[in-house]
Amino acid sequence: MRARTAATAIAGPPLVLLVAILACLPWLLSDYELSLALHLLSYLTLTVAWAMFSGTTRLVSLATSAFFGVGMYTVAMLVKLMPLEAIFAVAAGIGAVLALVVGIVTLRISGMFFVIFGFGLSEMMRQLMVWWEINKTFTMGRYVRVNFDNTMIYEHLLGLCVLAFAAGFLLRRSRLGIAALVIGEDETVARQVGIDVPFVKLAIFVLSCVLMTLVGAVMAPRFGFINPNIAFNPLISFQVVIMALLGGLKRLWGPILGVLPLIALSETLEVEFPFWYSILLGLVFMAIVYFLPRGAVGLIDDAWERLGRPMELPRGYTGWLRDAGAGVARAWAWLSRPRTLPGGFTGPIEGWAKRQWRRLVPEER
Amino acid sequence: MAALLEVSGLRKAFGGLVAVNDVSLAVSAGEVLGLIGPNGSGKTTLLNLIAGSLRADAGTIRMDGEDVTRLPNHKRVRRRINRTFQLVRVSKDIPVIVSVMAGLLHGAERAPYKDASYDAAGILGELNLLLKAGQRLDQLTYIEQKRVELARALATRPRVLLLDEWLSGLGPGELDGGMSVVWSLAAQGIAVILVEHVMTAVRALCGRVAVMNAGAKIAEGPPDQVLRDPEVIRAYLGDADA
Repeated sequence: MRARTAATAIAGPPLVLLVAILACLPWLLSDYELSLALHLLSYLTLTVAWAMFSGTTRLVSLATSAFFGVGMYTVAMLVKLMPLEAIFAVAAGIGAVLALVVGIVTLRISGMFFVIFGFGLSEMMRQLMVWWEINKTFTMGRYVRVNFDNTMIYEHLLGLCVLAFAAGFLLRRSRLGIAALVIGEDETVARQVGIDVPFVKLAIFVLSCVLMTLVGAVMAPRFGFINPNIAFNPLISFQVVIMALLGGLKRLWGPILGVLPLIALSETLEVEFPFWYSILLGLVFMAIVYFLPRGAVGLIDDAWERLGRPMELPRGYTGWLRDAGAGVARAWAWLSRPRTLPGGFTGPIEGWAKRQWRRLVPEER
Repeated sequence: MAALLEVSGLRKAFGGLVAVNDVSLAVSAGEVLGLIGPNGSGKTTLLNLIAGSLRADAGTIRMDGEDVTRLPNHKRVRRRINRTFQLVRVSKDIPVIVSVMAGLLHGAERAPYKDASYDAAGILGELNLLLKAGQRLDQLTYIEQKRVELARALATRPRVLLLDEWLSGLGPGELDGGMSVVWSLAAQGIAVILVEHVMTAVRALCGRVAVMNAGAKIAEGPPDQVLRDPEVIRAYLGDADA
């Protein structure tokens, strides 16, 4: 698969440089800024992974927090038994198997049913874990104490993020990606060009879910204390959807434009109005869906097209003179227009009388 | 010549309504078989059965000697059976060339990705659509959309092509162009089944015509002979004119 065009050749080196700079950031940022960066990167990766499946097949998934939570809980349960990198591999495996099972069961349903199912799945996982912790392990919450500081978490997240973008980039230029695009448009057509619709949906679903699981796993040491309500927080699913919608799904880089402002907004809201946070965020969500149906990407595409239009040449002072001349001419025309004299209070009566007269004597035309 | 596609004893019922009842057909490479009949006689259902959009209740479909009756739609496309839709299925957001590329990538030959755009351009060129390659389907005229559908189907490299009223809705000048396209498909060795109401096209293109009425095949043969058949006339016009 060769995806080398002029655009990739030009954009490649700066992107590599950008990633290198981002990789150096932990040593330049303060602790608060680093934790904000972690927050940002984790949501960015989740959103890119979400857009990979939902943006192409147009099946809105609310199962993000289910997979995020599975990753997190895998780490919490195995942290004393294995080295962390091995746990990440196990988490990816569990995520893949779960996604496979969920995918086989659910990808035949579509539309609203799929949305509800995704939400239900993450709630079910949460309740299941609560039941398990209460009845089997007699703990409600676990501590993840491991030698894995914020810098390490950041580097791992950055790696995952680059992986997600690379996967999205290659997907857009591959057999599988084009299949997903056609499926999103019309499944009947997709079948009729020979696409194995369930297989393609499943493959992309698993890929996207494994990425989400890994984000959860990497973020577990950051949280430190984990219970089912934290790990399977449905707010994560909703936030990811809204970030993707705000950014726009048409372009790979859309999620960046969605994640940045919404993280900034949620940070501010959380600090300023901690109790109104959810309500305000909900209002913002509604505003986004209502006013920006194509996301920020749509705005940028429009602006780009406007820039590409033939430019208006500067008109110099003669232009102003012409405008002034036209203004004078218009004012003159306005002043010299034929005008009716004010009718005063007898005006309506006269008008009425005239209408009556016209009724009796129709005007000859 | 051995038949490329053989359909025997095909039956499909929707509840109590038997839409296709014990229909047998055969079509060989390079042949254009006309499939005509009054509205609601089961032509499109038969096409859906052959293409795999619907499963047959009984009967067999054999493609090049291989039984494809139980295969799902996309696998039949890879066995080189494809079709166009009676109502054009328009993808709003996808450029024309991408939908053709999808056919090349996932059709019978599964072209490698790096060749797909060139091959797609070739197919679009053959159908006079190359200048529309970058446009979205909903920006095209109806006739161009029909041609894009054909391009999409041809991209999967079919040997049997089912055209569901592909020539209807065309003006006189466009009809000539459309007919020459169908003729050239047959000349390339594709077996074409043409469901059509435009009788000039049926007479000009089809060496053989099958007539359906109320789900059953009532006549088959050369067009001139079949169209004089009293039973066919009765199916179209009623008893009085037979």
